[in-house]
Amino acid sequence: MDIAYSLINVMVFILCAPLFDGIMRKITARVQSRQGPPVVQPYYDLLKLLGKNTVNSADNWSFKLAPLAAFASIIAVVFVIPFAFRQNFAGRYADIITVVYLLTLGGVSVLLGALASKNTFAMIGASREMVTMIMVEPVLAMTLILGAVKYKSLALQSAMYSVTGFGYSVSIVAMMAVYLLALQAFVGKQPFDISEAEIEILEGPFIEYSGPNYALFKYYMMMKQMFYAFLFVAVFLPFAETGYYAADMAIQLAEMLLVFVVIALIGSTNPRLRIDQAVKYYAVLIIISICAVGLSVRGF
Amino acid sequence: MLSKLSKKMFPKSLWVYHCNSGACNGCDIEILNILTPYYDVERFGIKLVGSPRHADVMLLSGAVTRPTLPLVKKAYEAMPAPKLVFGIGSCATGGGCWFDTYNVTGGGDKAIPVDYFIPGCPTKPEAIIYGVALALGLVDKKALPIELKQMEFPIDAYERNKAWEDRNVIYKLIN
Amino acid sequence: MWLTSKIKQVLMVLKPGVVTLNYPFVPRPAPEDFRGAPYWDHTKCVGCGGCANHCPARTIMVRDICQEIRVMMYDGSRCTYCGRCADVCPEDAITMTKNYELATGDKNDITETMELFMLTCQRCGRCYEMETGNAVDRMDLKGYRYDNLEARTVIRKTSDQFDLKLLQETAQFKRPEKI
Repeated sequence: MDIAYSLINVMVFILCAPLFDGIMRKITARVQSRQGPPVVQPYYDLLKLLGKNTVNSADNWSFKLAPLAAFASIIAVVFVIPFAFRQNFAGRYADIITVVYLLTLGGVSVLLGALASKNTFAMIGASREMVTMIMVEPVLAMTLILGAVKYKSLALQSAMYSVTGFGYSVSIVAMMAVYLLALQAFVGKQPFDISEAEIEILEGPFIEYSGPNYALFKYYMMMKQMFYAFLFVAVFLPFAETGYYAADMAIQLAEMLLVFVVIALIGSTNPRLRIDQAVKYYAVLIIISICAVGLSVRGF
Repeated sequence: MLSKLSKKMFPKSLWVYHCNSGACNGCDIEILNILTPYYDVERFGIKLVGSPRHADVMLLSGAVTRPTLPLVKKAYEAMPAPKLVFGIGSCATGGGCWFDTYNVTGGGDKAIPVDYFIPGCPTKPEAIIYGVALALGLVDKKALPIELKQMEFPIDAYERNKAWEDRNVIYKLIN
Repeated sequence: MWLTSKIKQVLMVLKPGVVTLNYPFVPRPAPEDFRGAPYWDHTKCVGCGGCANHCPARTIMVRDICQEIRVMMYDGSRCTYCGRCADVCPEDAITMTKNYELATGDKNDITETMELFMLTCQRCGRCYEMETGNAVDRMDLKGYRYDNLEARTVIRKTSDQFDLKLLQETAQFKRPEKI
């Protein structure tokens, strides 16, 4: 029975990720006073990309392997997480260290793909993506470690859902604020989308990918966005636990939709920060998150 | 089955790559105009991408000059099939005023196969949107060749000899 | 502090709403004095060839296929819509219409051909007395002209009598190949 939960997780994430991305694009368009694309546009984009020829521009195996590795890593993460308050089959075998590891694996495969295409723009994009990944990891790890410190166990269910078990203490509120401020860099939107700056370095790390490989990378980015929104909802807003699976899932999806609306609004009203400005901004956030974990050790 | 679905989805999301092959930038500014909120072309699902490997449609502007001829060919070959090319402006359609000068090859279709021509100098943004909608099948074509004649001739005027010999024919008719 | 300014930015956007024109589904007329595709009025044209002489892209070609018929062809593929032809026409037979929806897949769709009946002069045939000075003067006067309509080329050969051999010679004219 537990394995059914894992499979339903994967199905729900695969089907809903482009829909949330479409809603984000529509909100960005409305903020810019124009009628944007229809909400189901990312589905059309992905299906069209799957139908194009592949132009194999770099003949090494890492170029062909990278999109598959990225997509596989994000599916593995989705397989493991306890969506809708249900502990599932893989929860016995995976804990928070696994989740952090798999997310880093996804980022590293993007870097691998970028460096395997023999293109200068991809190299610039890869170096910026590396810096972004390095500065984002500590905040993600601290968020998950907060729950581990409180309950003295690394299991996913307790680390995610039981953090606010005793109310919103100082450390939890501080961590929530830090996560919200760092959310834009997790999902790769303005003001921190320097790594795939659209016209500035001609789409950065993915410049040489075409057709189905690019579709896999795009799917990876969309599911990563959905995972980070889910993480916020699971760790900081786990209320209304009814006993019914479908109702739990619907409530969590609705909360994720609100998080996506916030991401889209912040993304469309902010400029893009340069990489050194972003690093300075992030240094402050890392320090605050470490202080929050320290406070929670002390019992606050 | 998946390939048939992909073919059906192709007109709903065209990704566009803009290639300037020696244009005066008038048509380039008009292409930029159609991405603004007033003439929003993104409602058809069209997105501007920076790399020809991601693109389905190349918007070619400018008469293809001699230095840019091999580059336009390279950019065309870097696009994965299926692909379309739109030639924007009079320069890409036939070479503009410079169609037979020393440095100009003379129009987009001397370099790469062009699918739709959108004339204009510079092309009005509504005209570009009309061309895009024509390619997507949303409107009907309005440009058709026009033939005008002043009068229908009762004699076969293409048989020149008789007319030349009887060139006093009007004289005769009046009499 | 920056948060309130961002919130104000989002609220400010609500006032104009969505400003996109619904263009291909709702017709949008061009403004006054807009120069779209030129249109010839064949009832007013006398076949003087002034528009063909003044076009900067040489899109208008003139050919006499016999003594009475002059065929003029406008090839819209290189027209820059400058309006010089309309400006110089002595009979005001050319209007720059407001039509800008000219997109097509085939370059033959934007051409306009006219067949004109040229009345013969009662005394000498058709034309005035020819200047035999230079080619430019000869082009400016009326006479028999033999531009090649199939290759869309303007050829500067004129003659004072209708010459079938010249017609055949220019019918085989090929534009010099480049590349």
